[in-house]
Amino acid sequence: MFREILRTQWKWSTIGVVVGAVVAFALPLMTVQGAGTADARWIEVRQLLDDQRSWAQWYPLLALAVGLLVGTSAWTNDHRVRHVYALTLPLPRWRFVLLRYGAGLVLLVAPMLALAVGAGVAASAATVPSGLHAYPVALSIRFALAVVVAYSIFFAISSGTTRTAGYVLSVVGAVVVVQLLFRVSGGSTNLLTAIFDRMVTWPGPFEIFSGRWMLIDV
Amino acid sequence: MSNAIETRAVQRRMNKAFEIRDLALNVPSGSIYGFLGPNGSGKTTTIRLLLGLLRSSQGSIALLGRSVPADMPHILARTGFVPERPHLYAGLTIGEAVRYHSAFYSAWDAERAESLRRQFRLDPSQRVGRLSKGETGKLLVLLALAQNPDLLVLDEPTDGLDPVVRRDVLSALLDYVSQCGATVFISSHLVHELERFCDWVGVMDDGRLVAEMPMGTFKNGIKRLRVLDGPAVVDDAPFTLLAREPSDGVSAGEIWVVRDWQASMSQYFERVGASLREVVDLDLEEGFVELLRTFRSPNA
Repeated sequence: MFREILRTQWKWSTIGVVVGAVVAFALPLMTVQGAGTADARWIEVRQLLDDQRSWAQWYPLLALAVGLLVGTSAWTNDHRVRHVYALTLPLPRWRFVLLRYGAGLVLLVAPMLALAVGAGVAASAATVPSGLHAYPVALSIRFALAVVVAYSIFFAISSGTTRTAGYVLSVVGAVVVVQLLFRVSGGSTNLLTAIFDRMVTWPGPFEIFSGRWMLIDV
Repeated sequence: MSNAIETRAVQRRMNKAFEIRDLALNVPSGSIYGFLGPNGSGKTTTIRLLLGLLRSSQGSIALLGRSVPADMPHILARTGFVPERPHLYAGLTIGEAVRYHSAFYSAWDAERAESLRRQFRLDPSQRVGRLSKGETGKLLVLLALAQNPDLLVLDEPTDGLDPVVRRDVLSALLDYVSQCGATVFISSHLVHELERFCDWVGVMDDGRLVAEMPMGTFKNGIKRLRVLDGPAVVDDAPFTLLAREPSDGVSAGEIWVVRDWQASMSQYFERVGASLREVVDLDLEEGFVELLRTFRSPNA
Protein backbone atom coordinates (compact mmCIF):
# COMPACT_ATOMS: atom_id res chain seq x y z
CA MET A 1 0.00 0.00 0.00
CA PHE A 2 2.72 2.44 1.02
CA ARG A 3 4.78 1.47 -2.03
CA GLU A 4 1.89 2.33 -4.36
CA ILE A 5 1.24 5.62 -2.61
CA LEU A 6 4.95 6.38 -2.85
CA ARG A 7 4.92 5.51 -6.53
CA THR A 8 2.04 7.87 -7.31
CA GLN A 9 3.55 10.58 -5.15
CA TRP A 10 6.82 10.24 -7.06
CA LYS A 11 4.95 10.55 -10.33
CA TRP A 12 3.28 13.75 -9.21
CA SER A 13 6.34 15.42 -7.72
CA THR A 14 9.19 14.16 -9.89
CA ILE A 15 10.12 17.61 -11.17
CA GLY A 16 10.16 19.18 -7.72
CA VAL A 17 12.26 16.39 -6.26
CA VAL A 18 14.74 16.09 -9.13
CA VAL A 19 15.26 19.83 -9.64
CA GLY A 20 15.40 20.30 -5.86
CA ALA A 21 18.05 17.59 -5.54
CA VAL A 22 20.18 19.02 -8.38
CA VAL A 23 20.04 22.55 -6.97
CA ALA A 24 20.63 21.26 -3.44
CA PHE A 25 23.78 19.48 -4.63
CA ALA A 26 25.04 22.44 -6.64
CA LEU A 27 24.35 25.20 -4.14
CA PRO A 28 27.13 24.40 -1.61
CA LEU A 29 29.61 23.95 -4.45
CA MET A 30 28.74 27.38 -5.80
CA THR A 31 29.20 29.00 -2.41
CA VAL A 32 32.85 27.94 -2.21
CA GLN A 33 33.76 29.18 -5.70
CA GLY A 34 36.77 31.44 -5.25
CA ALA A 35 37.39 30.42 -1.66
CA GLY A 36 40.73 31.79 -0.45
CA THR A 37 43.97 30.15 0.53
CA ALA A 38 44.88 28.79 3.94
CA ASP A 39 46.94 31.89 4.73
CA ALA A 40 44.47 34.39 3.32
CA ARG A 41 44.66 37.99 4.43
CA TRP A 42 42.04 39.50 6.68
CA ILE A 43 40.38 41.30 3.81
CA GLU A 44 40.08 38.07 1.82
CA VAL A 45 38.57 36.26 4.81
CA ARG A 46 36.07 39.06 5.16
CA GLN A 47 35.25 38.81 1.46
CA LEU A 48 34.75 35.04 1.78
CA LEU A 49 32.34 35.49 4.70
CA ASP A 50 30.40 38.13 2.79
CA ASP A 51 30.12 35.75 -0.16
CA GLN A 52 28.93 32.98 2.16
CA ARG A 53 26.35 35.32 3.66
CA SER A 54 25.04 36.35 0.25
CA TRP A 55 24.58 32.70 -0.73
CA ALA A 56 23.08 31.79 2.64
CA GLN A 57 19.60 33.13 1.81
CA TRP A 58 19.21 30.56 -0.96
CA TYR A 59 19.25 27.55 1.37
CA PRO A 60 16.02 28.34 3.27
CA LEU A 61 14.42 29.49 0.01
CA LEU A 62 15.30 26.15 -1.58
CA ALA A 63 13.96 24.28 1.45
CA LEU A 64 10.70 26.27 1.21
CA ALA A 65 10.39 25.67 -2.52
CA VAL A 66 11.00 21.92 -2.28
CA GLY A 67 8.62 21.60 0.69
CA LEU A 68 6.01 23.63 -1.18
CA LEU A 69 6.23 21.58 -4.38
CA VAL A 70 6.13 18.17 -2.72
CA GLY A 71 3.60 19.20 -0.05
CA THR A 72 1.06 20.65 -2.46
CA SER A 73 1.50 17.98 -5.13
CA ALA A 74 0.50 15.38 -2.54
CA TRP A 75 -3.12 16.58 -2.64
CA THR A 76 -3.60 18.21 -6.03
CA ASN A 77 -5.03 15.07 -7.64
CA ASP A 78 -7.35 14.40 -4.71
CA HIS A 79 -8.69 17.94 -4.87
CA ARG A 80 -9.53 17.42 -8.54
CA VAL A 81 -11.81 14.51 -7.68
CA ARG A 82 -13.09 16.12 -4.47
CA HIS A 83 -11.35 13.46 -2.37
CA VAL A 84 -14.06 10.94 -3.31
CA TYR A 85 -11.52 8.31 -4.33
CA ALA A 86 -9.47 8.60 -1.16
CA LEU A 87 -12.59 8.59 1.01
CA THR A 88 -13.92 5.42 -0.58
CA LEU A 89 -10.73 3.44 -0.05
CA PRO A 90 -10.96 0.91 2.77
CA LEU A 91 -8.69 2.51 5.32
CA PRO A 92 -9.20 5.17 7.97
CA ARG A 93 -8.66 8.69 6.77
CA TRP A 94 -5.90 9.38 9.31
CA ARG A 95 -3.96 6.37 8.05
CA PHE A 96 -4.25 7.49 4.45
CA VAL A 97 -3.01 10.95 5.42
CA LEU A 98 -0.07 9.45 7.32
CA LEU A 99 0.85 7.23 4.36
CA ARG A 100 0.73 10.23 2.04
CA TYR A 101 2.79 12.29 4.46
CA GLY A 102 5.33 9.49 4.87
CA ALA A 103 5.63 9.03 1.10
CA GLY A 104 6.42 12.72 0.68
CA LEU A 105 9.04 12.54 3.42
CA VAL A 106 10.71 9.58 1.74
CA LEU A 107 10.94 11.53 -1.53
CA LEU A 108 12.39 14.54 0.26
CA VAL A 109 15.34 12.43 1.39
CA ALA A 110 16.74 12.94 -2.15
CA PRO A 111 17.26 16.73 -1.94
CA MET A 112 18.34 16.39 1.69
CA LEU A 113 21.02 13.83 0.77
CA ALA A 114 22.00 15.82 -2.30
CA LEU A 115 22.69 18.86 -0.17
CA ALA A 116 24.61 16.78 2.36
CA VAL A 117 26.78 15.29 -0.39
CA GLY A 118 27.22 18.68 -2.09
CA ALA A 119 28.15 20.32 1.20
CA GLY A 120 30.59 17.50 2.00
CA VAL A 121 32.27 17.74 -1.40
CA ALA A 122 32.39 21.54 -1.23
CA ALA A 123 33.85 21.52 2.27
CA SER A 124 36.54 19.04 1.37
CA ALA A 125 37.40 20.72 -1.92
CA ALA A 126 37.63 24.27 -0.60
CA THR A 127 40.64 25.61 1.20
CA VAL A 128 39.26 27.13 4.37
CA PRO A 129 41.38 30.04 5.70
CA SER A 130 42.67 29.66 9.22
CA GLY A 131 40.24 30.95 11.80
CA LEU A 132 37.25 29.80 9.73
CA HIS A 133 35.56 26.41 9.74
CA ALA A 134 33.36 24.41 7.35
CA TYR A 135 30.05 23.13 8.75
CA PRO A 136 28.69 20.69 6.18
CA VAL A 137 26.92 18.47 8.73
CA ALA A 138 25.25 21.34 10.57
CA LEU A 139 24.16 22.90 7.28
CA SER A 140 22.76 19.58 6.05
CA ILE A 141 20.82 18.97 9.26
CA ARG A 142 19.50 22.52 9.22
CA PHE A 143 18.42 22.13 5.59
CA ALA A 144 16.74 18.77 6.30
CA LEU A 145 14.79 20.21 9.22
CA ALA A 146 13.75 23.25 7.19
CA VAL A 147 12.55 21.00 4.35
CA VAL A 148 10.53 18.89 6.81
CA VAL A 149 8.97 21.98 8.40
CA ALA A 150 8.12 23.54 5.02
CA TYR A 151 6.76 20.26 3.69
CA SER A 152 4.66 19.66 6.82
CA ILE A 153 3.14 23.13 6.72
CA PHE A 154 2.30 23.07 3.02
CA PHE A 155 1.10 19.46 3.25
CA ALA A 156 -1.29 20.45 6.04
CA ILE A 157 -2.51 23.58 4.27
CA SER A 158 -3.05 21.87 0.93
CA SER A 159 -4.85 18.91 2.50
CA GLY A 160 -7.63 21.26 3.54
CA THR A 161 -10.71 22.05 1.54
CA THR A 162 -11.51 25.36 -0.12
CA ARG A 163 -13.47 26.18 3.02
CA THR A 164 -10.37 25.65 5.16
CA ALA A 165 -8.38 27.92 2.84
CA GLY A 166 -11.16 30.47 3.27
CA TYR A 167 -10.82 30.28 7.05
CA VAL A 168 -7.04 30.78 6.85
CA LEU A 169 -7.42 33.75 4.51
CA SER A 170 -10.14 35.20 6.77
CA VAL A 171 -7.80 35.05 9.76
CA VAL A 172 -5.03 36.75 7.76
CA GLY A 173 -7.50 39.37 6.53
CA ALA A 174 -8.77 39.97 10.07
CA VAL A 175 -5.21 40.55 11.31
CA VAL A 176 -4.60 43.08 8.52
CA VAL A 177 -7.88 44.88 9.30
CA VAL A 178 -7.05 45.02 13.03
CA GLN A 179 -3.61 46.42 12.16
CA LEU A 180 -5.22 49.10 9.98
CA LEU A 181 -7.64 50.01 12.78
CA PHE A 182 -4.71 50.32 15.19
CA ARG A 183 -2.96 52.66 12.79
CA VAL A 184 -6.06 54.79 12.16
CA SER A 185 -6.66 55.15 15.89
CA GLY A 186 -3.08 56.35 16.35
CA GLY A 187 -1.83 53.21 18.12
CA SER A 188 1.85 52.37 17.89
CA THR A 189 1.50 48.56 18.06
CA ASN A 190 2.66 46.84 14.89
CA LEU A 191 0.69 43.62 14.94
CA LEU A 192 2.05 42.26 11.66
CA THR A 193 5.67 42.72 12.70
CA ALA A 194 4.96 41.20 16.10
CA ILE A 195 3.35 38.12 14.54
CA PHE A 196 6.15 37.78 11.99
CA ASP A 197 8.76 38.00 14.76
CA ARG A 198 6.92 35.35 16.76
CA MET A 199 6.87 33.05 13.76
CA VAL A 200 10.56 33.32 12.87
CA THR A 201 12.03 33.35 16.37
CA TRP A 202 12.09 30.44 18.81
CA PRO A 203 9.65 28.72 19.43
CA GLY A 204 7.94 29.91 16.24
CA PRO A 205 7.46 27.31 13.48
CA PHE A 206 9.67 29.22 11.00
CA GLU A 207 12.62 29.75 13.31
CA ILE A 208 14.59 27.21 11.36
CA PHE A 209 14.49 29.47 8.29
CA SER A 210 16.19 32.40 10.03
CA GLY A 211 19.70 32.54 11.43
CA ARG A 212 23.01 31.75 9.77
CA TRP A 213 23.00 29.31 6.86
CA MET A 214 26.72 29.33 6.16
CA LEU A 215 28.83 26.46 4.94
CA ILE A 216 31.99 28.29 5.98
CA ASP A 217 31.78 30.41 9.08
CA VAL A 218 33.87 31.55 11.99
CA MET B 1 -33.58 -12.80 4.54
CA SER B 2 -31.02 -10.34 5.90
CA ASN B 3 -30.49 -6.96 4.35
CA ALA B 4 -27.23 -5.87 2.75
CA ILE B 5 -28.32 -2.25 3.12
CA GLU B 6 -30.64 -1.03 5.82
CA THR B 7 -31.44 2.56 6.67
CA ARG B 8 -33.81 3.81 9.33
CA ALA B 9 -35.34 7.31 9.37
CA VAL B 10 -32.31 8.85 7.72
CA GLN B 11 -32.44 12.57 7.36
CA ARG B 12 -30.04 15.01 5.74
CA ARG B 13 -30.67 18.58 4.63
CA MET B 14 -28.54 19.60 1.66
CA ASN B 15 -29.84 23.15 1.19
CA LYS B 16 -32.96 25.19 1.75
CA ALA B 17 -34.77 23.51 -1.10
CA PHE B 18 -33.74 19.89 -0.76
CA GLU B 19 -33.42 17.28 1.93
CA ILE B 20 -33.46 13.53 2.31
CA ARG B 21 -36.36 12.67 4.61
CA ASP B 22 -37.21 9.56 6.59
CA LEU B 23 -35.25 7.29 4.31
CA ALA B 24 -35.95 3.66 5.14
CA LEU B 25 -34.23 1.43 2.60
CA ASN B 26 -34.17 -2.36 2.85
CA VAL B 27 -31.96 -3.97 0.23
CA PRO B 28 -32.11 -7.77 0.61
CA SER B 29 -28.79 -9.62 0.50
CA GLY B 30 -28.16 -11.17 -2.89
CA SER B 31 -30.67 -8.97 -4.67
CA ILE B 32 -30.17 -6.66 -7.60
CA TYR B 33 -31.86 -3.54 -6.36
CA GLY B 34 -32.76 -0.86 -8.87
CA PHE B 35 -32.78 2.58 -7.29
CA LEU B 36 -34.94 4.68 -9.53
CA GLY B 37 -35.77 8.33 -9.55
CA PRO B 38 -35.75 11.38 -11.77
CA ASN B 39 -32.72 13.64 -11.88
CA GLY B 40 -32.40 15.56 -8.62
CA SER B 41 -34.57 13.14 -6.66
CA GLY B 42 -31.79 12.31 -4.18
CA LYS B 43 -30.28 9.11 -5.56
CA THR B 44 -26.67 10.29 -5.52
CA THR B 45 -27.11 11.98 -2.14
CA THR B 46 -28.46 8.71 -0.77
CA ILE B 47 -25.46 6.82 -2.13
CA ARG B 48 -23.10 9.38 -0.59
CA LEU B 49 -24.86 8.82 2.73
CA LEU B 50 -24.57 5.05 2.37
CA LEU B 51 -20.83 5.24 1.71
CA GLY B 52 -20.10 7.67 4.52
CA LEU B 53 -19.22 10.50 2.15
CA LEU B 54 -21.98 12.51 3.83
CA ARG B 55 -23.14 12.30 7.42
CA SER B 56 -26.82 11.94 8.15
CA SER B 57 -28.24 14.37 10.67
CA GLN B 58 -30.66 11.70 11.97
CA GLY B 59 -31.30 8.01 11.64
CA SER B 60 -29.09 4.98 11.23
CA ILE B 61 -27.41 3.31 8.26
CA ALA B 62 -26.01 -0.22 8.12
CA LEU B 63 -24.21 -1.88 5.21
CA LEU B 64 -23.35 -5.59 5.29
CA GLY B 65 -24.43 -5.69 8.91
CA ARG B 66 -22.03 -2.93 9.97
CA SER B 67 -22.74 0.59 11.03
CA VAL B 68 -22.04 3.66 8.88
CA PRO B 69 -19.84 5.63 9.43
CA ALA B 70 -18.24 3.85 12.41
CA ASP B 71 -17.17 0.73 10.47
CA MET B 72 -16.44 2.35 7.12
CA PRO B 73 -13.03 0.73 6.44
CA HIS B 74 -14.54 -2.76 6.95
CA ILE B 75 -17.57 -1.89 4.82
CA LEU B 76 -15.52 -0.34 2.03
CA ALA B 77 -13.20 -3.36 1.93
CA ARG B 78 -16.23 -5.43 0.85
CA THR B 79 -17.98 -2.80 -1.27
CA GLY B 80 -17.32 -1.97 -4.90
CA PHE B 81 -18.29 1.56 -5.83
CA VAL B 82 -18.82 3.07 -9.25
CA PRO B 83 -19.54 6.78 -8.85
CA GLU B 84 -21.58 8.93 -11.18
CA ARG B 85 -18.57 11.12 -11.91
CA PRO B 86 -15.18 9.43 -12.37
CA HIS B 87 -13.07 9.73 -9.23
CA LEU B 88 -9.75 8.24 -10.38
CA TYR B 89 -6.46 10.11 -10.65
CA ALA B 90 -6.29 11.44 -14.21
CA GLY B 91 -2.49 11.43 -14.40
CA LEU B 92 -2.13 7.68 -13.93
CA THR B 93 -2.21 5.16 -16.74
CA ILE B 94 -4.79 2.37 -16.65
CA GLY B 95 -2.09 -0.07 -15.53
CA GLU B 96 -0.98 2.25 -12.74
CA ALA B 97 -4.56 2.92 -11.65
CA VAL B 98 -5.27 -0.81 -11.43
CA ARG B 99 -2.06 -1.48 -9.49
CA TYR B 100 -2.71 1.44 -7.14
CA HIS B 101 -6.31 0.37 -6.50
CA SER B 102 -5.37 -3.28 -5.96
CA ALA B 103 -2.96 -2.34 -3.16
CA PHE B 104 -5.87 -1.41 -0.88
CA TYR B 105 -7.91 -4.61 -1.23
CA SER B 106 -6.85 -7.88 0.35
CA ALA B 107 -9.40 -9.83 -1.71
CA TRP B 108 -8.18 -8.34 -5.00
CA ASP B 109 -8.60 -10.77 -7.89
CA ALA B 110 -5.75 -10.03 -10.32
CA GLU B 111 -6.96 -12.66 -12.78
CA ARG B 112 -10.42 -11.17 -12.97
CA ALA B 113 -8.90 -7.69 -13.38
CA GLU B 114 -6.76 -8.86 -16.31
CA SER B 115 -9.59 -10.80 -17.88
CA LEU B 116 -11.93 -7.80 -17.65
CA ARG B 117 -9.20 -5.53 -19.04
CA ARG B 118 -8.94 -7.77 -22.09
CA GLN B 119 -12.70 -8.13 -22.39
CA PHE B 120 -13.11 -4.33 -22.23
CA ARG B 121 -10.14 -3.81 -24.57
CA LEU B 122 -8.47 -1.31 -22.25
CA ASP B 123 -4.87 -0.38 -23.06
CA PRO B 124 -2.85 -0.40 -19.82
CA SER B 125 -0.54 2.34 -21.08
CA GLN B 126 -3.34 4.79 -21.74
CA ARG B 127 -3.79 7.68 -19.33
CA VAL B 128 -6.99 7.71 -17.27
CA GLY B 129 -7.50 11.40 -18.02
CA ARG B 130 -7.56 10.73 -21.76
CA LEU B 131 -10.11 7.92 -21.71
CA SER B 132 -13.47 8.29 -23.37
CA LYS B 133 -16.58 8.18 -21.22
CA GLY B 134 -17.18 4.55 -22.19
CA GLU B 135 -13.61 3.51 -21.40
CA THR B 136 -13.75 5.30 -18.05
CA GLY B 137 -17.01 3.52 -17.23
CA LYS B 138 -15.42 0.17 -18.10
CA LEU B 139 -12.35 0.90 -15.98
CA LEU B 140 -14.50 1.84 -12.99
CA VAL B 141 -16.50 -1.37 -13.31
CA LEU B 142 -13.28 -3.38 -13.69
CA LEU B 143 -11.88 -1.90 -10.47
CA ALA B 144 -15.13 -2.47 -8.59
CA LEU B 145 -15.48 -6.11 -9.70
CA ALA B 146 -11.83 -7.12 -9.28
CA GLN B 147 -11.90 -6.24 -5.60
CA ASN B 148 -14.30 -9.17 -5.11
CA PRO B 149 -17.01 -7.22 -3.33
CA ASP B 150 -20.02 -8.58 -1.47
CA LEU B 151 -21.88 -5.39 -2.28
CA LEU B 152 -21.75 -3.28 -5.42
CA VAL B 153 -22.97 0.31 -5.25
CA LEU B 154 -23.33 1.72 -8.72
CA ASP B 155 -24.38 5.30 -9.30
CA GLU B 156 -25.72 5.67 -12.83
CA PRO B 157 -22.97 3.38 -14.18
CA THR B 158 -24.24 3.38 -17.75
CA ASP B 159 -25.38 6.99 -17.99
CA GLY B 160 -24.11 8.52 -21.22
CA LEU B 161 -22.62 5.29 -22.54
CA ASP B 162 -23.36 4.03 -26.03
CA PRO B 163 -25.45 0.84 -26.31
CA VAL B 164 -22.45 -1.41 -27.05
CA VAL B 165 -20.46 -0.25 -24.03
CA ARG B 166 -23.59 -0.37 -21.89
CA ARG B 167 -24.16 -3.97 -22.86
CA ASP B 168 -20.51 -4.85 -22.12
CA VAL B 169 -20.66 -3.23 -18.69
CA LEU B 170 -23.98 -4.75 -17.71
CA SER B 171 -23.03 -8.23 -18.88
CA ALA B 172 -19.79 -8.06 -16.84
CA LEU B 173 -21.84 -7.04 -13.80
CA LEU B 174 -24.35 -9.83 -14.29
CA ASP B 175 -21.58 -12.40 -14.81
CA TYR B 176 -20.03 -11.36 -11.53
CA VAL B 177 -23.31 -11.47 -9.66
CA SER B 178 -24.18 -14.90 -11.03
CA GLN B 179 -20.75 -16.24 -10.01
CA CYS B 180 -20.40 -14.58 -6.60
CA GLY B 181 -23.96 -13.87 -5.49
CA ALA B 182 -23.15 -10.29 -4.53
CA THR B 183 -25.79 -7.69 -3.75
CA VAL B 184 -26.09 -4.93 -6.33
CA PHE B 185 -27.49 -1.50 -5.57
CA ILE B 186 -27.77 0.31 -8.87
CA SER B 187 -29.18 3.78 -9.32
CA SER B 188 -30.47 4.99 -12.63
CA HIS B 189 -33.05 7.14 -14.28
CA LEU B 190 -33.00 4.79 -17.29
CA VAL B 191 -35.98 2.79 -16.15
CA HIS B 192 -36.17 0.32 -19.03
CA GLU B 193 -32.56 -0.69 -18.43
CA LEU B 194 -33.19 -1.80 -14.85
CA GLU B 195 -36.38 -3.60 -15.79
CA ARG B 196 -34.43 -6.39 -17.43
CA PHE B 197 -32.36 -7.58 -14.52
CA CYS B 198 -33.38 -6.01 -11.19
CA ASP B 199 -35.39 -8.12 -8.77
CA TRP B 200 -36.12 -5.31 -6.35
CA VAL B 201 -36.94 -1.70 -7.01
CA GLY B 202 -36.94 1.45 -4.90
CA VAL B 203 -38.26 4.74 -6.22
CA MET B 204 -37.04 8.11 -4.96
CA ASP B 205 -38.67 11.45 -5.56
CA ASP B 206 -37.97 14.78 -3.95
CA GLY B 207 -35.72 13.26 -1.29
CA ARG B 208 -38.19 10.57 -0.22
CA LEU B 209 -38.50 6.89 -0.90
CA VAL B 210 -41.84 6.68 -2.68
CA ALA B 211 -41.99 2.92 -3.10
CA GLU B 212 -39.92 -0.18 -2.42
CA MET B 213 -41.02 -3.61 -3.55
CA PRO B 214 -40.03 -6.69 -5.55
CA MET B 215 -39.81 -5.92 -9.24
CA GLY B 216 -42.48 -8.51 -10.04
CA THR B 217 -44.97 -6.85 -7.72
CA PHE B 218 -44.16 -3.45 -9.13
CA LYS B 219 -44.54 -4.52 -12.74
CA ASN B 220 -47.57 -6.73 -12.33
CA GLY B 221 -49.41 -4.59 -9.84
CA ILE B 222 -49.75 -1.48 -11.97
CA LYS B 223 -52.28 -1.74 -14.81
CA ARG B 224 -54.08 0.51 -17.24
CA LEU B 225 -57.79 -0.28 -17.41
CA ARG B 226 -60.38 0.83 -19.95
CA VAL B 227 -63.63 1.37 -18.04
CA LEU B 228 -67.06 2.14 -19.46
CA ASP B 229 -69.65 3.93 -17.29
CA GLY B 230 -67.32 4.11 -14.28
CA PRO B 231 -68.72 5.50 -11.02
CA ALA B 232 -68.19 9.19 -10.26
CA VAL B 233 -66.68 8.41 -6.89
CA VAL B 234 -64.36 5.49 -6.29
CA ASP B 235 -64.16 4.87 -2.57
CA ASP B 236 -64.49 1.16 -1.91
CA ALA B 237 -62.34 -0.28 -4.69
CA PRO B 238 -60.08 -3.21 -3.75
CA PHE B 239 -57.24 -1.62 -5.76
CA THR B 240 -55.57 1.80 -5.56
CA LEU B 241 -56.63 4.22 -8.24
CA LEU B 242 -53.56 6.17 -9.30
CA ALA B 243 -55.01 8.17 -12.17
CA ARG B 244 -58.27 8.54 -14.06
CA GLU B 245 -58.38 10.11 -17.48
CA PRO B 246 -61.12 10.69 -20.03
CA SER B 247 -61.32 8.65 -23.19
CA ASP B 248 -58.34 8.89 -25.51
CA GLY B 249 -60.69 9.39 -28.46
CA VAL B 250 -59.70 6.12 -30.11
CA SER B 251 -61.80 3.81 -27.97
CA ALA B 252 -64.76 4.44 -25.75
CA GLY B 253 -64.39 4.58 -21.97
CA GLU B 254 -62.13 6.16 -19.39
CA ILE B 255 -58.53 5.20 -18.75
CA TRP B 256 -57.82 4.18 -15.18
CA VAL B 257 -54.33 3.56 -13.89
CA VAL B 258 -54.47 1.29 -10.85
CA ARG B 259 -52.05 -0.28 -8.41
CA ASP B 260 -52.22 -3.61 -6.52
CA TRP B 261 -54.38 -5.07 -9.28
CA GLN B 262 -55.46 -8.73 -9.34
CA ALA B 263 -57.67 -10.44 -11.94
CA SER B 264 -60.42 -11.22 -9.42
CA MET B 265 -60.94 -7.51 -8.85
CA SER B 266 -62.80 -7.20 -12.17
CA GLN B 267 -65.96 -8.13 -10.21
CA TYR B 268 -65.83 -4.70 -8.62
CA PHE B 269 -66.87 -3.12 -11.89
CA GLU B 270 -69.94 -5.36 -12.22
CA ARG B 271 -70.87 -4.45 -8.68
CA VAL B 272 -70.79 -0.70 -9.36
CA GLY B 273 -72.56 -1.02 -12.73
CA ALA B 274 -69.50 -0.31 -14.82
CA SER B 275 -67.90 -2.34 -17.54
CA LEU B 276 -64.24 -3.30 -17.68
CA ARG B 277 -63.26 -3.45 -21.36
CA GLU B 278 -59.51 -3.90 -21.27
CA VAL B 279 -56.62 -4.56 -18.86
CA VAL B 280 -53.20 -3.47 -20.12
CA ASP B 281 -49.89 -4.33 -18.44
CA LEU B 282 -47.69 -1.30 -17.97
CA ASP B 283 -43.98 -1.66 -18.40
CA LEU B 284 -41.72 -0.42 -15.62
CA GLU B 285 -41.25 2.99 -17.18
CA GLU B 286 -44.97 3.63 -17.48
CA GLY B 287 -45.55 2.33 -13.97
CA PHE B 288 -42.73 4.53 -12.71
CA VAL B 289 -44.20 7.61 -14.37
CA GLU B 290 -47.66 6.90 -12.99
CA LEU B 291 -46.28 6.29 -9.53
CA LEU B 292 -44.44 9.60 -9.52
CA ARG B 293 -47.46 11.40 -10.91
CA THR B 294 -49.60 10.10 -8.06
CA PHE B 295 -46.96 10.88 -5.49
CA ARG B 296 -46.59 14.45 -6.66
CA SER B 297 -50.35 15.15 -6.87
CA PRO B 298 -52.06 12.57 -4.65
CA ASN B 299 -55.53 13.95 -5.34
CA ALA B 300 -55.26 13.83 -9.13
